[in-house]
Amino acid sequence: MERIVTVVPEDGLHARPASKFVETANEYDADVQLGRADSDDLAPAASMLAVTGLGVSAGEDVRLVAEGDDAEAVLDALEDILSTPEAEH
Amino acid sequence: MAERTLSGIGVTPLSGVGKVVWYRPDADLPEPPAPEDVDADAELARFDEARSDAEDELQTERARTAERVGEEEAAVFDAHVQFLNDPQITDGVTDAIEGGLPAEHAVQETFTGFVEQFESMGGRMGERADDLRDIRDRLVRVISDSERVDLSSLPKGSVVVAERLTPSDTAQLDPKRVAGFVTVTGGRTSHAAIFARSLALPAIVGVGEELESVEDGTEVVVDGDAGNLVVNPGDDTKAAAAAEADVHVRSGPVETADGVGIEVAANVGTLADLEPAVDRGGDGIGLFRSEFLFLDRESPPDEDEQFEAYVDALESFEHGRVVVRTLDIGGDKPVPYLDLPEEENPFLGERGIRRSLGPDASLFETQIRALLRAAGSTDGTRLSVMLPLVTTLEELHEARERFESVASDLAEEGLTHEMPEFGIMIETPAAAFMADRFAPHVDFFSIGTNDLAQYVMAAERGNERVSELGDYRQPAVLHAIDATVSAADGHDCWVGMCGEMAGDPDLTELLVGLGLDELSMSAVTVPHVKAAVTETDTAEAEALAAKVLAADTKDEVTNLLTTDQ
Repeated sequence: MERIVTVVPEDGLHARPASKFVETANEYDADVQLGRADSDDLAPAASMLAVTGLGVSAGEDVRLVAEGDDAEAVLDALEDILSTPEAEH
Repeated sequence: MAERTLSGIGVTPLSGVGKVVWYRPDADLPEPPAPEDVDADAELARFDEARSDAEDELQTERARTAERVGEEEAAVFDAHVQFLNDPQITDGVTDAIEGGLPAEHAVQETFTGFVEQFESMGGRMGERADDLRDIRDRLVRVISDSERVDLSSLPKGSVVVAERLTPSDTAQLDPKRVAGFVTVTGGRTSHAAIFARSLALPAIVGVGEELESVEDGTEVVVDGDAGNLVVNPGDDTKAAAAAEADVHVRSGPVETADGVGIEVAANVGTLADLEPAVDRGGDGIGLFRSEFLFLDRESPPDEDEQFEAYVDALESFEHGRVVVRTLDIGGDKPVPYLDLPEEENPFLGERGIRRSLGPDASLFETQIRALLRAAGSTDGTRLSVMLPLVTTLEELHEARERFESVASDLAEEGLTHEMPEFGIMIETPAAAFMADRFAPHVDFFSIGTNDLAQYVMAAERGNERVSELGDYRQPAVLHAIDATVSAADGHDCWVGMCGEMAGDPDLTELLVGLGLDELSMSAVTVPHVKAAVTETDTAEAEALAAKVLAADTKDEVTNLLTTDQ
């Protein structure tokens, strides 16, 4: 299951949004990977190091790939984080 | 091995014999052992344990930061926890350990690799590199901790040797297991020295770099009286040290050779100090540092808890007076729930009575309620209250008004209470200069020599570079004491002293000669000072005091004190 999402939080995938993103990815059983929408390289969403290592800024499109029973639920949750401005968390 | 002696500053008149245990809390990582000598399973277990301990630490710090600073700032700790448990990192460390590195080296190597990687990416990644460095250092510290000397469970008869010991280090020392401690740095009034006295531990500070030559496991005698560390002592030296450890404890009141009673009391800075205060023969408590009831906790003690503590202190003694100093807290003592502002110079800031009379009146009011109720309890007539860091008469009057208004509240509520004996600390030049104006309004003065010396001489007590200046043998300090005692003369106002100076038996004769009525000190030196009192003749003591007050320099004072004895 795959989804393309535009990153809204001002910080991009850093600081609190990244932290929240990794925390959420770890809450589900599904295996989640992410990468830039225009690239085939994927990194594990459960790794803070990998997620922040991507250096994704606000406005960029990312691709989320999930496999597992609750894949849809985890993608919904992650999309929610990526498309909500930081202040609302 | 030949006996040799290193000298430093003795801070307790006690001797101890034991084996050296070096305590090096922040040593660099040593060279790793050869890979074949590393037990990978044991190292993996150490790593896992450290990771879980580090996470606990982070959670605690997160909660504290959220409470004190804000949720936003606290969130950085979430990121740290995630880095800590990051699979790439744990895999990296695991691989390194399996490749033959001990846990701390594996952590160092793995994190450093990621730090460099992030740094090379620049920009926002640089911040992540800082985060990673931070976590790396925490983990390395926690891992080393688990095998670092644990100060609370040393083998019996250990002499702890260190570059320095922080108050939290000394707080862990178990006096039943530790035969003493010796440090490279530090002075007579450093916190570690004060702590050694309150725990009655033989201790020497300021030995210098030469201390490094004493190896782990070496047998030593710590002579805290002379300030000598005897390395590889012969049998005679050990026997002498053991004999000296036997001090005569006098439990009743003492008087000078010519029959003048001098009250010799103990200072109490934690509940654990109560027992030694009694055991060492203290006549009572001359300084009950009430702030300890407020430290190391999440919220202030309520009225009943304080009441119990004051009553407990009173009940520890059959007859003795208990002098409670009201809350003495400033910007240098972090108390999370008080939200103390950061001050550029906390020693000259809003501390002591200034804070009690400050905008948040409730904390002081609660303490006053507990004190007035304790004064009305069965043993309450022996309770005295004193105010810290008073500099103006307005402060004294304002504080007394607060006591009176709380007393009328208690009366309305029908609660038993009494007005205790009421005094002030003399610890600022302002209070010493104005002592004659204060005297008619108080029942007693208590001279706090640690702060008085510091404020009179403008020399910080912990700073070795100026410790000569901050010495209580300085003529200016002695004149401030003399002025205070003279100002009380003719008023119904007794004068006590509760700094470290009061506990120095070499100065007892001088203090009696200056006219002090009461001396209060760390419990450990009570027997020595009591002995010194009984050997003192007041006429001779007064003559000595006159000569000492005529001296121009500290060296002259010191000479007079040594030749006259």
